[in-house]
Amino acid sequence: MMSDQQIIEGCAKHERRAQQLLYDKYSRFLLGVCLRYATDKAEAEDILQDSFLKIYFNIKDYSGTGSFIGWLRKVAVNTAITHYHKNLKFRYHIEIEEFVSVETGVTSFEEDFFTSDELYKVLNELPAGYRMVFNLYAVEGYKHKEIAEMLGIDTNTSKSQYSRAKAVLRDKLEKLRTLKSRYSAGNE
Amino acid sequence: MEDLREDRMLSDLFKQKLENEEITPSPSLSSNLMRRVGMREFLRFNPSRINIWYAGAAAAAGTALTLILTQSPGKQSREIPEPLPVEINKESAENTVNKNLSVPVITITENRQVAKSDNRIVDTEVSVSTDDNKPAAVSSGSNAVQSAEAQKVNTLPTTAVLNDATGKNKLISINRPQSFIEASVAEGCPPLKVSFRSLAGSVDSCSWYFGDAGYSSSKDPVWIFDNAGDYTITLQVFSSGVKSVSSVVINVHPKPLAKFDITPEYAVLPRDEISFHNYSEGAEKYFWNFGDGTTSDLFEPHHNYRKYGDYNVRLNAISEFGCSDSLVIYNAFSSSGNYIEFPNAFIPNPTGPSGGYFSPKSDESSQIFHPVFSGVTDYQLRIFSKRGILIFESNDVNYGWDGYYKGQLCDPGVYIWKVRGNFINNGQFTKVGDITLLKN
Repeated sequence: MMSDQQIIEGCAKHERRAQQLLYDKYSRFLLGVCLRYATDKAEAEDILQDSFLKIYFNIKDYSGTGSFIGWLRKVAVNTAITHYHKNLKFRYHIEIEEFVSVETGVTSFEEDFFTSDELYKVLNELPAGYRMVFNLYAVEGYKHKEIAEMLGIDTNTSKSQYSRAKAVLRDKLEKLRTLKSRYSAGNE
Repeated sequence: MEDLREDRMLSDLFKQKLENEEITPSPSLSSNLMRRVGMREFLRFNPSRINIWYAGAAAAAGTALTLILTQSPGKQSREIPEPLPVEINKESAENTVNKNLSVPVITITENRQVAKSDNRIVDTEVSVSTDDNKPAAVSSGSNAVQSAEAQKVNTLPTTAVLNDATGKNKLISINRPQSFIEASVAEGCPPLKVSFRSLAGSVDSCSWYFGDAGYSSSKDPVWIFDNAGDYTITLQVFSSGVKSVSSVVINVHPKPLAKFDITPEYAVLPRDEISFHNYSEGAEKYFWNFGDGTTSDLFEPHHNYRKYGDYNVRLNAISEFGCSDSLVIYNAFSSSGNYIEFPNAFIPNPTGPSGGYFSPKSDESSQIFHPVFSGVTDYQLRIFSKRGILIFESNDVNYGWDGYYKGQLCDPGVYIWKVRGNFINNGQFTKVGDITLLKN
């Protein structure tokens, strides 16, 4: 088993074996990242392939000081952003069924109630712009100002898209929860 | 405050569950990726990594080039039964060449450029070289070398004076104001009609080879090229026993193919928006005529017709060279067709049974299972559960199933339907299918 350090050195020399090892070790994690930014697995795999090409050919850019997995994630996220921009003109813009009113009591979502498949699914169903902002802010932890720069949008747009994304997600999750509890109740 | 806390929880939920989630990629992804890596590395040429692959690629490229070069005269010789030597018959050779010397070889190279602007051929120069160590007949070897910009053709200019009694290697350049082929066009769309004219003046005979196995012996022939391709048109003329050859290339562009489809197949007008699906090939511009007086130049337009009618929908597909093709669907939305079509899924209204009567306006969200139809008279629809229990029956085509059975919303899942009935003029119909009940 090669260490990350050896894999990186191997990849820098374009060694096929090191490239394969890097893929075997991190492709599953990176596909998990890509799928958050895509509408389906096929699109996520496209992003993943492009990410690996960037990783292989730019591995010298990795300074070696920060976390390697963090660098990999960053490349994948940047690739997803490029992909989003490239496909922007092909997407149909889906307007949200106007504002989902925030008439909730405190609905807390228990962590284990939803499977990660279900969470991926609601993310995949979001309009692309909402999905980008939500992922970058909530999961990757970027600031709205940074997101605005990355996506080439206004800071306020980033903020409002984030809050709309949340409203849609909350609505979808609540529906999903009702459905799930009805099903489990019906089965018992 | 409350809201803020809740938001945090929502974001944290996704962060905690998905931040380090792993998904296994499709098995084929790895090999596809490695292929792309290989391609990319190959294209990034690095002298320090020259290996067998580069050598192989260079060899392959060389072979391909050689093949291309040797193919072009081969092609031509298939069309022209014999090589085209410049022959000098005995009398003229004796008249012009000193008998003490062997007969010189005369290689005449003509550089000609095709001026695209006026589609005429402008001739630039003809060079004549002689070499006394070879036989008198010159093969048309230089026909083999054709560059994209200029064609080199063996020719014997009628005005050339072979003032070469010494017979030593000598290159003579003469300017010729005109080639002896004039073509009405140099390129165009198939079928391309081209009028050729021989400018060789008065000659004993003309032989035209059109490059598509066609032949003519008239002086000014007209030829039609049916298929796309680059055709080398060669003219041989005999004048006082001297054979002269000239050629010109005519470029016939590929023709696009116009092809489209219309959905929905059974449109309900004016309710349905009609989508036009474009399957054209080799085109870059499109022009639609919907047949009701409206047009579009989109790739795949949508259109709303106001009423049924015998519309002729036409698509013109235009290629980058301006070649066009068109397809017409005649009588696209005539009202005479009777039909009945059912959806395959619906989402009942969860708040309670609605009774099942619908109109296109009241059932925009498909809460009632019902057909779209035209010309239906008698009608019986029955819906069964998977266990075979009859859960719905209707004898009115305007009365569909709301998803309830005995006041209870049915479980999501698949149900079987069967319909029988009559069309106004087309006789009986019977159809069976399944419907998936979804929950909102």
